[in-house]
Amino acid sequence: MTSLDSRNLPIAALNDKRREAVRLRLAGTRLTDIAKLTGLSAPTIIAAHKAFLAGGWDSVAVSARGRSPGDGRLLSPKQENALFRCMVEQVPDRIDLPHALWQLGSIQMLIRRQFGIELPDRSISNYLKRWGLSVVKPAARLSAGTEPLKQWHANVYPSIAARAQAERADIYWVDEIPLRNVDGQDIARNSAVRAVTNRGKQLWLAYEGVLRAPILIDFFDRLLNSSGGKAFVILDGMQWGRAAAVSAWLSERRDRLLSFHLPDPNGTADLATGPAPSTINRTPEIPPAPYIYTGSFSDQIKHLIAHSPTERTPYAAKKSGGVKHSMTLTHLQRLEAESIHIMREVVAETENPVMLYSIGKDSAVMLHLAMKAFFPAKPPFPLLHVDTTWKFRAMYEHRDRMARELGMDLLVHVNPEGTAKNINPFTHGSAIHTDIMKTEGLKQALEKYGFDAAFGGARRDEEKSRAKERIFSFRSSAHRWDPKAQRPELWKLYNARKHKGESIRVFPISNWTELDIWQYIHLQNIPIVPLYFAKTRPVVERDGALIMVDDERMPLREGEVPMMRKVRFRTLGCYPLTGAVESDAETLEEVIQEMLLTKTSERQGRVIDHDSAGSMEKKKQEGYF
Amino acid sequence: MAHVSDLIASDISAYLKSHEHKSLLRFITCGSVDDGKSTLIGRLLYESKMLFEDQLEALETDSKKMGTQGEQLDFALLVDGLAAEREQGITIDVAYRFFSTDVRKFIVADTPGHEQYTRNMVTGASTADVAILMVDARKGILTQTRRHSYLVSLIGIRNVVVAINKMDLVDYSEKTFRSICDDYAVFAKELGFGNITYIPMSAFKGDNITEPSENTPWYHDTTLMGYLETVQIDEERLQKNPFRLPVQWVNRPNLDFRGFAGTISSGVIKAGDPIRIQPSGRTSTVARIVTADGDLEHAVAGQSVTLTLADEVDISRGDVLSGTDAPPECADQFESTIVWMHDDALLPGRSYLLKIGSRTVNAQITDIKYQVDVNTMKHLAAKQLVLNAIGVCNISIDRQIAFDPYSENRDTGGYILIDRLTNNTVGAGMLHFALRRSQNIHMQHVDVNKAARSSLKQQSACVLWFTGLSGAGKSAIANSVEKRLHAMGRHTYILDGDNVRHGLNKDLGFTDADRVENIRRVGEVCKLMADAGLIVITAFISPFTAERDMARSLLAEGEFIEVHVDTPLEVAEQRDPKGLYKKARRGELKNFTGISSPYEAPENPEIRIDTTRLTIEGATDVVIGMLQQRGFLGSAD
Repeated sequence: MTSLDSRNLPIAALNDKRREAVRLRLAGTRLTDIAKLTGLSAPTIIAAHKAFLAGGWDSVAVSARGRSPGDGRLLSPKQENALFRCMVEQVPDRIDLPHALWQLGSIQMLIRRQFGIELPDRSISNYLKRWGLSVVKPAARLSAGTEPLKQWHANVYPSIAARAQAERADIYWVDEIPLRNVDGQDIARNSAVRAVTNRGKQLWLAYEGVLRAPILIDFFDRLLNSSGGKAFVILDGMQWGRAAAVSAWLSERRDRLLSFHLPDPNGTADLATGPAPSTINRTPEIPPAPYIYTGSFSDQIKHLIAHSPTERTPYAAKKSGGVKHSMTLTHLQRLEAESIHIMREVVAETENPVMLYSIGKDSAVMLHLAMKAFFPAKPPFPLLHVDTTWKFRAMYEHRDRMARELGMDLLVHVNPEGTAKNINPFTHGSAIHTDIMKTEGLKQALEKYGFDAAFGGARRDEEKSRAKERIFSFRSSAHRWDPKAQRPELWKLYNARKHKGESIRVFPISNWTELDIWQYIHLQNIPIVPLYFAKTRPVVERDGALIMVDDERMPLREGEVPMMRKVRFRTLGCYPLTGAVESDAETLEEVIQEMLLTKTSERQGRVIDHDSAGSMEKKKQEGYF
Repeated sequence: MAHVSDLIASDISAYLKSHEHKSLLRFITCGSVDDGKSTLIGRLLYESKMLFEDQLEALETDSKKMGTQGEQLDFALLVDGLAAEREQGITIDVAYRFFSTDVRKFIVADTPGHEQYTRNMVTGASTADVAILMVDARKGILTQTRRHSYLVSLIGIRNVVVAINKMDLVDYSEKTFRSICDDYAVFAKELGFGNITYIPMSAFKGDNITEPSENTPWYHDTTLMGYLETVQIDEERLQKNPFRLPVQWVNRPNLDFRGFAGTISSGVIKAGDPIRIQPSGRTSTVARIVTADGDLEHAVAGQSVTLTLADEVDISRGDVLSGTDAPPECADQFESTIVWMHDDALLPGRSYLLKIGSRTVNAQITDIKYQVDVNTMKHLAAKQLVLNAIGVCNISIDRQIAFDPYSENRDTGGYILIDRLTNNTVGAGMLHFALRRSQNIHMQHVDVNKAARSSLKQQSACVLWFTGLSGAGKSAIANSVEKRLHAMGRHTYILDGDNVRHGLNKDLGFTDADRVENIRRVGEVCKLMADAGLIVITAFISPFTAERDMARSLLAEGEFIEVHVDTPLEVAEQRDPKGLYKKARRGELKNFTGISSPYEAPENPEIRIDTTRLTIEGATDVVIGMLQQRGFLGSAD
């Protein structure tokens, strides 16, 4: 059944459909028929109906989704304003920052120094974007530009680039941009002169009032300082040629600083229009592009993270497994090499990858491998946790600690529809809870950030149907998995090409088994959530499983009294859905020992797998991992 | 999961320590539906004690419900996966299974025994060190045994086990066993395996799987598990080959660090070793081997590492780092074996993407030398390769790449072909050797060039490529445009079906393959005529985007002007100037575009002419106006 994506509907239209669905439901229509009539998915219909039963017609409508503007910013408006003023009035080296020109790193240091807040690069670039400092890589901008720009890019620029390479010069694209008003105060007369590298890194100097020659000279002087060697600057805008003082200053430094001019985007004869436009079908002209930011901001994040100017948090396994130089590689070394190879392929061949982080032991290993794959750089992608809000508290603590210690960007997504409806495993059952919070939530997050590749920690040994899952698993733009349309994977060659809107799920630890994972954690001393180790914890026995009472949201059934038992978890999920086992294994070695001697398989503790044999297959087709 | 080892219970630390040094072997099992392949894999999982009790219980229940072995355990049920297959009782894809013993971890590629067999088996075998060929002792060497053996040799597996299964059903007869061995040895001589091992067994009863069987007292050789635990792993052999590292990713966290990340596909590398970068041919020295666990003194085939070099050399993704003593060859034309893996057949002349190592280039199959019948290994003539066909072809790519013959290195000699439009992986190939042709034909340098010839004619050379359905009006408009240009004193030439199909291309028919070749030749003629400084006009249906793009790629940027004569099928059919549509509708014309053969309309043509709204004169105005605007007609008028 193709259900329509309710996120694309305006709220009013969605609510009309929801009310219609409840009416049909009350009239006794079957669920599948309602779905056909309204286009809503079964969980949505059930949710709407439940909302009606709980609170009448008023509860059926959902309110606007997503965060309201300003939500979730870590700096107060006052702090942000102070930061902005400082940036406009100062240059970094005058206030003891190690840069000649402003850049993302200096803002980051300033925030740390002034407010004691540690912000990831992505958040900083968000602030910069709000101030008007958004950036598109020059090449992308030119190829989306007008004909003269494209011509220039194709004909003139290659010779500049070749010369720059021959002379080991850095290329900077210099332009002048207005800075935007923050927090209501009139700062419309603030601007910045800015240099952008080919890779999209920006260096700037802010000033008040009009651009004058001394400011430009100061800027170029500082640019030369930060570049160290030779610099080629490509100037955007006609006003540059007018300042005689600048031209003179530049010509004196011709050996170190060469300037070029971008053509006027509207200049020269426009070749585009034909004599009879009504009969000639041409693609519409893209308007001349200033440095407007077009894509989702995560496009630039990938790059900014990879080329972060800040020192990365030192990361090294506490216990090194790679010191021995045996000629025969061990199985763990070969599995590690394969996973690293896969991650690097994805980063090289996709636009905007992300790593799904579920906090469990498989995620821990995957994250550890990512740190290794890109060392000494940081992995050039963020972590994404699709949060059901029902994870164990210890899992949230572990998640935040790992992201902080490794200096990784962590995105957390909670399905707002689910939150609004208070979807929970107790009243809605595990099937609806998983569908809405996990499957739907994941799709939402991938679409929201425009991720085209997502690393997942699934293993082929987990379940029979996963034994045939490819390492690169293609999803249609509706996130459907079609078992018939998967590509053959030969040798170490992965074909990552895809059409716009399609995405890939990549499983770099496909060939690891549960035992491999545990051995690797042991060998490399990888931090995992303490819930894997036995400890006395409050639990209730329910439907044959030991469920931990992790917080006050868990309603106790009649007669249930939490009891203290020494338990641990073999697999981690949502706490109301994950059964504990009684155990004395307090150390990693004891855990592995217990695992090796135990008699039931790992996923047995998970309530969602207690379905028919084909259930995982069905979930996969719907987009569940 | 009871790995039966006393150490687990008594000294877990010692156990873990000993298991840190296990090696990894990948193998594939080949056999047809009833040879007992799934039973064997299920048996190996069971014997290695990798099953949990809940899985065993499920197996017992399932065996009773849908097993084919009566009351006994049906091990095949352990390895069946997708729900659809279960119902059909057959497997339909490549599945990977895992088990381990105290000395090795094993990854088994399990491929199905029927349709799609070639594609899946080649995929599964591409990463395997060893192949187990299943032979039913009652049936002996069958056609499919030959087919599997050929595929295994094709993909370069050197170590083969001939598992003569179901010995229990032939009363463990030594004579039967020996005669099958002899049959196989005769047939396998030409396949060039390094090492063939014959084992009599019963996967169902467990004979000679892990323990020597009492039922075969005449057999003194290794058990299957014994063989798998000791056979040489391919990566060890590869360590002795020359050093190769295809660069996957350039690691530049800051201006002071520039590392080249990739997986070593063969050889050994140490800090201080001289290296050569192919295809550029530049040289440098390895400064450091960087890993997150600290710098390594040396690294070997199979490891994923990051190298830094002593010099600043320009290296990007796709380059191959190699030792200076034996660098890989570079070439752009090859002889190669291709296994076709897609429903749409391989057509010579069509442009595909080719991915080898971390490099992706444009490729064309220039010639299918012959197709191989997988059952008899006989050579057949072929104009195209359909799904699961295997052919030896000449292939040409658009730039030089570094490569090794596939027989020496799978990673630097194996490639996949990707369809440019659908992005599907459509074929897999194995390079044999470079064709010297390309290096011997040097472009003759000429002083009179295209620009000189064009300026004499006071015009710029270009190609007006008219495409559209039969009866759309291509020829009429093309004629009118040429007349107008001629009147303006411009030098032109029209290529159309009449002057090309009767001469140059009279050997071609109307199949998809012939249509592709037709347009390829027209494209090449256009290129020569444009080089002569002419304004070339073509009027062909040219139904496929891929071929029009190929023609476009032959010409300089901006020289190719695609004119889509856009007439709806109903209108063209109504006009039907040559009565062809009527014929086609009556079924008298095969492969007629629009009726029984597809037309792929251009997405972004330079000019689109809607003939339902424009007269021939009007259309001519549009085309001429465009030429003037783009400066093809010079200044003099």
